[in-house]
Amino acid sequence: MKKNDRTVLQKIVLQTIGHEKRQPVMIPLFTILLSLLLGIVVIALLGKNPFLAYYNLLQGSGLAPKASYAGHKGMITDFTSFLNALTPMLLAALSVLIALKAGMFNIGVSGQMLAAAFISTVLIGYSDLPAVVAKPLVILTGFVVGALVGSLVGFLKHRFNINEVVSTIMCNYIVQYVVSFFINVFFVDPISRQSKNVGQAARLTLTDVVVGDYKMDIPLGILLAAAGVAAAAFLLRKTTLGFEIKAVGLSSKAAQYAGIRVGRTRVLAMMLSGGAAGLAGVTYYLGYFSSIQPRVLASTGYDAIAVALLGNSSPVGIVFSSFLITVISKGSTYMSSTAGVQAEMASAITGLILLISACGVYVKEKVNRWKENT
Amino acid sequence: MNTIIIDGLSFALPLFIMAIGGIYCERSGVTNLALEGLQGFGAFCGALFAVCIASHFAGDSPVPFYLAMVAAFLGGMLFSLLHALLCIRFKANQVISGVVINILAMSLTEFMTKQINASLFQAPSNKFVLGVSARVTVPGISSIPILGAAFTNLYPFEPVIVLIAVIAWYVLYKTPFGLHLRACGDNPHAVDAAGIGVGRVRLIAVLVSGALSGLGGICFAYSISANFSSNIYSGYGYLAIAALIFGNWKILPTLGACLLFGFARSGGYELVKILEMPSSYQDLVMVLPYVLTLLMLVFFGKKNHSPRALGVIYDKGAR
Repeated sequence: MKKNDRTVLQKIVLQTIGHEKRQPVMIPLFTILLSLLLGIVVIALLGKNPFLAYYNLLQGSGLAPKASYAGHKGMITDFTSFLNALTPMLLAALSVLIALKAGMFNIGVSGQMLAAAFISTVLIGYSDLPAVVAKPLVILTGFVVGALVGSLVGFLKHRFNINEVVSTIMCNYIVQYVVSFFINVFFVDPISRQSKNVGQAARLTLTDVVVGDYKMDIPLGILLAAAGVAAAAFLLRKTTLGFEIKAVGLSSKAAQYAGIRVGRTRVLAMMLSGGAAGLAGVTYYLGYFSSIQPRVLASTGYDAIAVALLGNSSPVGIVFSSFLITVISKGSTYMSSTAGVQAEMASAITGLILLISACGVYVKEKVNRWKENT
Repeated sequence: MNTIIIDGLSFALPLFIMAIGGIYCERSGVTNLALEGLQGFGAFCGALFAVCIASHFAGDSPVPFYLAMVAAFLGGMLFSLLHALLCIRFKANQVISGVVINILAMSLTEFMTKQINASLFQAPSNKFVLGVSARVTVPGISSIPILGAAFTNLYPFEPVIVLIAVIAWYVLYKTPFGLHLRACGDNPHAVDAAGIGVGRVRLIAVLVSGALSGLGGICFAYSISANFSSNIYSGYGYLAIAALIFGNWKILPTLGACLLFGFARSGGYELVKILEMPSSYQDLVMVLPYVLTLLMLVFFGKKNHSPRALGVIYDKGAR
């Protein structure tokens, strides 16, 4: 193909995402942009104003000012409540990511979240411990319980060759039903049909804190999530264990040949993954919410798989991807009430983003082929 | 005892047909976590079709049910095209594609159910009411003790599923196409060298999995839930995946796994009833099938191994 044969579109695409070094960042951005464009078309076809709908998403997440606010509410309160929703998503994505790095697929994040949150709720949430003791204990219990469930999965895989996809799905069901049983028999709130609310001292989100003129929810868990992401990045880049995890994930046979103890590494990775899921659980059920609904698994665990993959399976990447996905899901309520676009539309757009970004490899191949043809 | 067999079968068979679809897909080398979304979308298509044509038939006519099964079959197939497109044509990560299809199916069907109910039937409802399909008892055989229970109070979909399962087994293990399909999952380059298109075989496998999942979905909609709503996404697809991995990606052992799930479930419910425990104890018994699965895998899991090329994007030039 001669140079002047290229269409304008091809030229633009090549200019922006043709550069090899920038591709890991530019291609996800390109695909996200493409899916947002597709979303515009869909919303317009429904006869609604797509730009207004997108702006509503930002408004609902506290990233843009709304036209009017109720008393003691403002952009900042919307934003802290957005952070409140972001925290469990980020930690859950981190959990998926660690397992993924070790070549394993943790579908059981939801179950690990629930198990960790339930034990923390019963042990600490219903106790009278003062906040200074209760909050760190909640975090510790969450991590330990999640890590135990995670390492059980890793152990079953290592010792008995049980595919982690099956064992995590089984664990999801087991945890879901056992927790539901205990809640319904011992801890049910007769009015809400959920578990009784945990005490304020144990909750990881400070609710209705008066700051200046505002009453806001302050999620303490976001600091935890940030620390978790930093720790994971450090672990994977700078430590021997991180190197071993990545080696096992890339090729367990090569890792074994190099003298890495594959089984031990897998169990450790699943333990960390479960621990992160446990933290996601306590920030979800003892932070974002304060009770547990029996017989229901949070969809966060499944969404987190997609978020982790959208974030290019890198600790920095998932910060951006979970931010984006949470903006869409959190803002959807406001969008449906203002623009009249149904809230399900938001998760459809999420699906579109993930769908198109899944084709990143194809886009890369195509672009590089165009380049070779010049 | 009879109730355990009757209810167990009516749960196990739809699960089994979904798992067979999964086996086709995974044996051809395409990971399929999308079963959950595919069964939901299939059930949506079937249910939509059934409520649209219901007024043309008498209230107790079984015809809408059979037509709904056909619609679900086609609907699931249509939606699985997306998985095929992403995994085969666009070389997407097969896991992410599966998860995305689940998310999309869930949001799309919920959204469209609301929209269609509002515009077509002027009712603000988020479900299509279907009712439970009529049950049949085979005269004669059903009076044999214990074994006869398998022929008592059958849902009409059960014989259909058995028939399709037999055909699926024959095609997978006894025909050249089945051989090609299984080879695609273990050594796609050999298949390519033999002059058979890997992409084409995988496309057919994915479509089969979509169609069978849709069928399984509408069966659940017509039996357990008696309607179509977002409740259909309660993890049947994931359970089918667990069953097929438990069954080592082979059809007959997978049937065993599905029957285990079904009987342990119905047996548990029966136990709660006999011991006259409060209904919240049901939850505890519901754990049985899953604990049993884990235990059995601990004892028999050593020999399990997945198809060698599972989840690997086919690249002609790879060594």
